[in-house]
Amino acid sequence: MFEKTRTYFLNIKKDFSKQQHEKKAEQKLETFSGKKDGILAWSDYRHPGAWVAYTIGIGILIIFVFLALAPIFWLFVSSFKSTSELYEIPYNFWPQSFSLTKIIEVWQYLDFGKYFLNSIVVAVGSVMAAVFFNGLLAYAVSVVKPRGYKVVYALVMLSFMIPTVANLVPLFKEISDFGLINSYLPLCLAAGANAFYFLLFKTYFDSLPQDLFEAARVDGAGDLRIFFSIIVPLSRPIIGVVSIFAMTAAWSDFLLPYLVLQDDGMQTIMVKIYSIQSTIATSTEFGPDRLLMLLCLSIIPQIIFFAFFQKQITATSTTSGIKE
Amino acid sequence: MKMVATKKMQGRGFGGGRLRKRDLIGWGLMLPSLLLFLFFVWWPLGSNIGLSFFSSVGFSANKFVGFANYATVFQDPIFLKALLNTLKYVGWSLLIGFVIPIFLGLLLSEVVHFKGFFRTVLYFPSMISGIAVVIMWSFLLDPNAGAPLNAIITALGGAPFRFLDDPNWVIPLIVITMTWRGAGGTMLVYLSALQTIDNSLYEEARIEGASFFQRIHYVTIPHIAPTIRSLLVLQIISVLQIFYEPLVMTSGGGPDGASESLMLLAYQYAFVKTGKASLSSATSVILSALTILLTIVYLTFVSKQKKKAPQDV
Repeated sequence: MFEKTRTYFLNIKKDFSKQQHEKKAEQKLETFSGKKDGILAWSDYRHPGAWVAYTIGIGILIIFVFLALAPIFWLFVSSFKSTSELYEIPYNFWPQSFSLTKIIEVWQYLDFGKYFLNSIVVAVGSVMAAVFFNGLLAYAVSVVKPRGYKVVYALVMLSFMIPTVANLVPLFKEISDFGLINSYLPLCLAAGANAFYFLLFKTYFDSLPQDLFEAARVDGAGDLRIFFSIIVPLSRPIIGVVSIFAMTAAWSDFLLPYLVLQDDGMQTIMVKIYSIQSTIATSTEFGPDRLLMLLCLSIIPQIIFFAFFQKQITATSTTSGIKE
Repeated sequence: MKMVATKKMQGRGFGGGRLRKRDLIGWGLMLPSLLLFLFFVWWPLGSNIGLSFFSSVGFSANKFVGFANYATVFQDPIFLKALLNTLKYVGWSLLIGFVIPIFLGLLLSEVVHFKGFFRTVLYFPSMISGIAVVIMWSFLLDPNAGAPLNAIITALGGAPFRFLDDPNWVIPLIVITMTWRGAGGTMLVYLSALQTIDNSLYEEARIEGASFFQRIHYVTIPHIAPTIRSLLVLQIISVLQIFYEPLVMTSGGGPDGASESLMLLAYQYAFVKTGKASLSSATSVILSALTILLTIVYLTFVSKQKKKAPQDV
């Protein structure tokens, strides 16, 4: 008797769930509607296999995110442990307490602010030298093009292949002959002779419209005038990029500062950390737990820096396609 | 335009040898930077090659000895070990570190959800200074049974591992550390190459019914092949110069020289085993020669790449 009504309702129910299903699928597709490029475009996601593959892909990325962050997370957590806690069996991930006094204690014991300041001095000096000297050279090679500029370009590119530190002995001898041991000057100026920064500047200047310079010349502007009234204002983005690179490089630099800064009070953070690490086996007062805390303190500025400039940093590497 | 033309003509009209005002300004602008390059790069490079043919007193050249330093170096067992190890570093880094960034770049270019988050986080380790990274990893790879990675291994039922104390494992483990730090940066370069692929190629492939793997094979890989080749050479060059990783992680090339590298040896000849400055020079000249050889290969690839696709690089 109710057979008809029942099938009627069943059909409605079926239709409804079918509709819902389709709606869901469409909604899912919608997330990809913006994806018109790439190996899989949004239309490919009609295929359920694509969904499985996509989910696996996301899963793999999450695993890599874990691999990238876990060691740093471990470092921050473990830096609050004591030495005996570090090597405790069975292993405890968390320290017994997160006492902030340990940070202060380590900081004060070493007078760490001093090394921080040294690192900042070197970093700021390096940024200034990197922008000024490489920018000027790139401007001359890219825009002014005086006779013989091709030779200069070839010679600079030659140094792209050989890092400054490869010729350790003569470089060190030169620096000490000039009386520059225990001076920040050679460390900062070394950033001014960097083929990578030069190349970044040159690529940028080459991309500026040449008509602009021609027009300025027709108007009677000299090369110096062009530099200050056209190039400098237009170069803000590239100056920013080189500054970021030079800043991170200077903060992380190790070998040259290690050889040049022999006086303990002059050392940069990385040099100080290395000298602590290399003597830790014999040191009685500075245990591994304190070294861990020092590591944290030394990379926090880099993390803050990254947080501020992460867009510029990742965008540069993406668009320039040049790798340091 | 006119003015430029007349200026050029003037320059020629005065006999060609005479300097134009522009040349003077140009060289004036270049001079300070060129002095720096001279001081930090060219002069050390030249005198390093020179010193490698002399005996040394302290850091100064003494007597011309021809190729004697090179002969000494090649007879030093630690040099041969370092040479072999450096090649091992390169081989392992290609095995471990080469494919991961390509794979991550591909994944990331296809992902829609949290793309910015993934990109930022995966790049993050590249931002931390190398010294801090290697010290952190020496803690993680501590051979003590109570150290983090060994704690995981023992929890899974394994025996504590010697990690960096094991001569067979020390190089691959150092390479893993380098990959951990470097993969994100390389990934971004691949990502940029992937973004330049003309989408109509993919559309055509779709219309022709090419499967996912066919699309990768016929569209993606050929297009990023120049980038892959360039980064391959760049990676080889940078790994050839491996230095502070073994210095810090294995206290200077241990166990028993199993992680010694050429650059590290050049440093040790000069600053640790005193009185061997000439040997240090010979070692870094050999290393530089290897590097230049590979850079020439790299530059030919780049110029080919430029000819093929002038919009990227």
